Amino acid sequence: MPQPVQPRSRVRAHAPAAAVSGDRRGEVTGEAAARGFRYTATGIGKAFSGAPVLRDVSLILEPGEIHTLLGENGAGKSTLLKILAGVYQPDSGELVLGDERLPVLTPRTAQQRGIYLVPQEPTLMRHLSVVENLFLGILPRGRLPFSVGWREMRRAAAGYLERVGLNVEAETPAEALSIAQAQLLECARALAHRCDVLFFDEPTSPLTDHEADVLFETIRALREQRYTLAFISHRLDEVLEISDRITVLRDGALVATQERASADRAGMVRAMVGRELAAAQPRPRRMPTGPAVLRVTGLTLEPHFANVDLEVRSGEVVGLAGLVGSGRTEIAEAIFGVRKPTAGRVVLDGKQFDRRSPRACIDAGLVYLSEDRGRHGIFAEVDLARNVTSGILPRLPRRAGLLQIGAEHGLAAEAVRRTNVRAASLASRIKTLSGGNQQRALLARWLLADPKVAILDEPTRGVDIGAKAEIYEIVAGLAAAGLATIVISSEIEELTQLCDRVFVAYEGRIVGRLSGAEITAGRLGSLVVGAEVR
Amino acid sequence: MPLVPVTEPRVRLDGAPLRAAPLRRFLLRREILLVLAMVAVALASGLHESAFLTRSNLSFVAADAAATAVLAVGQTIVLLTRGIDLSVAPILGLSAVVVGFLGQNHNLPLGIGVVVSLAVGLGLGVGNGFLIAVTGLPPIISTLGTLSVYGGLQFVVCNAWSPHTVVNIPNSYVNFGNDNAFNGLAWLVVIAAAITAVVAVVLRHTRFGRSLYAIGDDAEAAYRAGIRVRLVLFCAYAACGLLAGFAGLIYLVHTGSADSTTGTDTSVNLISIAAALIGGTTLTGGKGGVVGSALGAVFLSLALTAMVFAGIDPIWEPAGVGALILLAVVSDRRRGGTGSGALTRSAGGAA
Repeated sequence: MPQPVQPRSRVRAHAPAAAVSGDRRGEVTGEAAARGFRYTATGIGKAFSGAPVLRDVSLILEPGEIHTLLGENGAGKSTLLKILAGVYQPDSGELVLGDERLPVLTPRTAQQRGIYLVPQEPTLMRHLSVVENLFLGILPRGRLPFSVGWREMRRAAAGYLERVGLNVEAETPAEALSIAQAQLLECARALAHRCDVLFFDEPTSPLTDHEADVLFETIRALREQRYTLAFISHRLDEVLEISDRITVLRDGALVATQERASADRAGMVRAMVGRELAAAQPRPRRMPTGPAVLRVTGLTLEPHFANVDLEVRSGEVVGLAGLVGSGRTEIAEAIFGVRKPTAGRVVLDGKQFDRRSPRACIDAGLVYLSEDRGRHGIFAEVDLARNVTSGILPRLPRRAGLLQIGAEHGLAAEAVRRTNVRAASLASRIKTLSGGNQQRALLARWLLADPKVAILDEPTRGVDIGAKAEIYEIVAGLAAAGLATIVISSEIEELTQLCDRVFVAYEGRIVGRLSGAEITAGRLGSLVVGAEVR
Repeated sequence: MPLVPVTEPRVRLDGAPLRAAPLRRFLLRREILLVLAMVAVALASGLHESAFLTRSNLSFVAADAAATAVLAVGQTIVLLTRGIDLSVAPILGLSAVVVGFLGQNHNLPLGIGVVVSLAVGLGLGVGNGFLIAVTGLPPIISTLGTLSVYGGLQFVVCNAWSPHTVVNIPNSYVNFGNDNAFNGLAWLVVIAAAITAVVAVVLRHTRFGRSLYAIGDDAEAAYRAGIRVRLVLFCAYAACGLLAGFAGLIYLVHTGSADSTTGTDTSVNLISIAAALIGGTTLTGGKGGVVGSALGAVFLSLALTAMVFAGIDPIWEPAGVGALILLAVVSDRRRGGTGSGALTRSAGGAA
């Protein structure tokens, strides 16, 4: 992008800030003068390595409005916001801000036009102070050449911090802030950079209710000042509470855009999950009555979760539903020995199982498919065969103490055939495989371990629809063969299709237990957002 | 719902166990390239100065590479885990002076000398392993610290004996360092080759070897796949120390001398890392092997000898080593090795 770096006031000549400030940008706190512009996206399409994540999405964001993007994980909400903010470049479609047809954006050129994305994880410089973070990239000049106008910066900072309701000292290092404060600081940073089109990517998922309220108050105040605002959420309550307009995305396509007045909870849930998947037959529910293979009682690890009870029987698929941040992954990791819980018991096959580590769990017949395939699953540079056999290194066939490569490949080939991995050969490096094939290879790894209990954390995250259906078939087949399975998912439809029973986690507590016909999208949808708690 | 296009060949694996022939070919590529490069360097030098191709010169080159090769094999074990050992120089030095003084001043039999060198190396390697695997310090910090500590110990040891240098080792030592196993091939070269072969088998055919690659690729994923990451790291640094200790013995019997700066003065750290990198092992872990590293050591020795034959002042030697390292790393980068993992891994993840 050869666009020269220039003050924003020249990029958009009618920006209100230009009228007030000279070239010392930190000088003015930009009172209520700021005003956003209509931001129009038309026909946006985007694919990642061949898999489409957005198809022909058109959207109008109006100034003075809070526009919510709603959808399941993988629906394309984050991708859309990132395209609007210049983080990703769309494969097709056009963006128009005010009356300017935007060129290819980068985060920097987007910011010069007043577009700012508050990311899911705050991206502050941990060791710099609040005030430095606030003015990063636009430090005001001091009197001497090449110096920084500290005094002026601190004065201006106070104004911005007050506007977003952030009550901290300007000198506080950013790492001392809570996540909620960091998000408010991101907000203030957007204001300091004179941005008036603000996007928030799931801002409330790591926040407590009170912290979320503070953030919403700030966002509402910005709406009064006619900023153009959009945010992502899957908490229905807060969506209904704060939005003026709601857009629902599903599988990369826009399903509906509605004003809040005409939106209702049931309709939104239907729009989010009501995918017409002709191929996917729900797995027939079974209610095995045998003793629990895995029984967890009173498992506690503050602040992630407390007092968790659950159990799963042979041949049963049990769901663990919950939003990001509900503690579901932490529960699984504590069972698998990755985290050490502070209280609680795990009983596997009737025997108390205290000294847990991944190795001990695998050997005892308990496996855990991690949610983060890239970082906690695959060995990217290693070939398919060794990726698949890495979970059972102690059990691989040996002669005179040395691993028998031929026999090992036989095992790997058998396992990847069972899970239907498509690859050129066992020697292919796993990073050359598609997400769906990588996931099936990891399933093959755990099948080889011959487990009694499998915890599958977001087993279909980042895989395409076809692969998803195949993974469901594998899970169903394993359960029929007697495996006790726990499926963790934030996709409601996945749980209604697969599970015999479902536990629902909300803010670290199990708030619901559904079984059989009680497992409906409606019940799950309201339980995961905490609607039945209060 | 349209099916998503598939980007890889849709080949189903049938029942027959597939051999990893393409992989083996891929792994061998760097090794074969190195052999070709060595032949080219030798022929070019031979054309310039025919004495280069004599048996005595070539066996000198090989024997000269023995200590470096053993060091590089140890360094490779550590590099595979995405670690580094900056203390191999003083481990080599300490092993050489301890055995050297015991031989020179106390007439220690060679057999016991070998055991002592291994014990010194293992002990110092265990020190590194403790710091990295038990206290969890980053390898570069831990071994930078022990580089200084072990280097200081080397001075202390030399100070405790008189004279302060090893100059006069027993004949059995000298013979061991210079005798040929068969025609022109020194015992030291045979032993270094055997060590390389054994470690190569360990890397490919044992749980320990497999775990090294997995940890280097992704330590967290390795832990979750049931690999005992700390134990494996501990053993990796212990093994690296053990081999560096043995390299000290090779150095001692080959050169017949050792003193308080042995190892450090010839930048053994850099050379061992250079040989491994030239041999195709990466600093980012999970890729490479010891055969390449041993060949890298021979290549270095050959290239530096060729420099001498070409009449280049030995003062240029370190600069030459540095240039070769850069060449190796750059070629690796172009193959998509170093540092590209982070980018490729995130592709496809979309929310």
